[in-house]
Amino acid sequence: MNLPSTFFEWVGFLLDKYGALFLRGTGITMLVALSGTVIGFLIGLLVAIVRTIPLPHGHWARRLPLRAVHFLLNVYVEVFRGTPMIVQSMVIYYGAMQIGIRMPVLLAAILIVSINTGAYMAEIIRGGIISVDKGQKEAAVAIGMTHWQSMVNVVLPQAVRNIMPSIGNEFVVNIKDSSVLNVISVGELFFMSKSAAGTYMRYFEVFFITACIYLVLTFTVTRILRLLEKKMDGKANYTIYGSQSDSKSSIRVNEEEEEE
Amino acid sequence: MPILEIKHLEKSFGDHQVLKDISFDVSKGDVTCIIGSSGSGKSTLLRCINFLEEPTSGTILYHGKNAATEWKKTEYNSKVGMVFQSFNLFGNMTALQNCVVGQQKVLSRNKADAEKQALRFLEKVGMAEYRNARPAQLSGGQKQRVAIARALCMDPEILLFDEPTSALDPEMVGEVLNVMKDLAAAGMTMLIVTHEMSFARDVASRILFMDGGVIVEDESPAVLFTAPKQPRTQEFLRRVLERQL
Repeated sequence: MNLPSTFFEWVGFLLDKYGALFLRGTGITMLVALSGTVIGFLIGLLVAIVRTIPLPHGHWARRLPLRAVHFLLNVYVEVFRGTPMIVQSMVIYYGAMQIGIRMPVLLAAILIVSINTGAYMAEIIRGGIISVDKGQKEAAVAIGMTHWQSMVNVVLPQAVRNIMPSIGNEFVVNIKDSSVLNVISVGELFFMSKSAAGTYMRYFEVFFITACIYLVLTFTVTRILRLLEKKMDGKANYTIYGSQSDSKSSIRVNEEEEEE
Repeated sequence: MPILEIKHLEKSFGDHQVLKDISFDVSKGDVTCIIGSSGSGKSTLLRCINFLEEPTSGTILYHGKNAATEWKKTEYNSKVGMVFQSFNLFGNMTALQNCVVGQQKVLSRNKADAEKQALRFLEKVGMAEYRNARPAQLSGGQKQRVAIARALCMDPEILLFDEPTSALDPEMVGEVLNVMKDLAAAGMTMLIVTHEMSFARDVASRILFMDGGVIVEDESPAVLFTAPKQPRTQEFLRRVLERQL
């Protein structure tokens, strides 16, 4: 058998032979990172909403249930931020096995990344909530909205817009850090690369390809998130309806033009 | 019967007592202006009335029923509207949406009715043309007029104004005061914390002068501005009117 001799020949050879493997690994990595980030975001939202419920006034016993919930959420955030994801995956996967639950690895992977991301997101979203001027929350309460209504309609849309860069960060981190899940044999990109490298012992060439794939993934994701941010900012222009002399007329005001 | 009765209201922040034994009534159609120097507790009083601050003690009766216990908080808040010094428009919504969201979420109105009502009040404050503009695209005076429309859309029985013109450039103060004058003329019940003495004198049916957390004097504007009885009121008016007129 004729084996390649130069670096680029090896890269071409490996791509040809293991292209499908790389592709499958990339697919699993993106699936785990995307669902982990989305579910983690939802967990973070819920945790942040609950953590910002104002404590009721009056007797201390009325505050006790909410205090207890706050305490548990703090424990969750501290534990999952304070331990490495690689250790969490071992504890959760083998811990579940110990009590007789044999999770499919892909499900375990998504679960672990989601819970881990949720702990970080809770803090990021809390920061986003603080960044929204608290007068708006007061105004929402002053027209009769409940805590939940004011959070969902007024505070969170703005908080989420403000933390979009951090959410993007989390997504990128998840694309890269899902590689630690290879310890529980999740068939993501790193795991697939390791098996591809093993056959011909071409670690450098294989992981060069792997690095390029990771870079393309993260770069594409950050660009897409930038576009999303722009979209969330809404239109820069608005229409003024009617005028003193002619109520049917309308004028479009374009902020960007004014600024330039 | 008065619609709002404040009885022995007190408020402390830690050791610092901001409101001391405040009692007064508001009847339908009253335009009550609260004046006094900074730190006298005017804003805190207003914020206690709609429970943005929890009163330390005392009771607030709305239509004879305890606002804290016998009324549902959200219902009471929708009936007692508030206009803030810093406008507090919802930054993620257009002027129209600012006026619609409360009607839909709190009063469960359908979208068409809510928008009709919103346009009616935006028209009233002269902001209908800007219905699609976001708060960041409006001037201070325009924002405050939208904020007033937002409060009116909830069909409140009383409107509380917390220094509505203090954050505005001088040339924008007039447009907001004019809207408030129109409301007063239309019979709206209003409780206004203000530093605009000529507005208070012309529009108010009654003036409360606060100092050090107590209501020092409670009079009609005609009496309070020409013949105040308390030395503290005299001193305050002398200082303020010297500057404003």
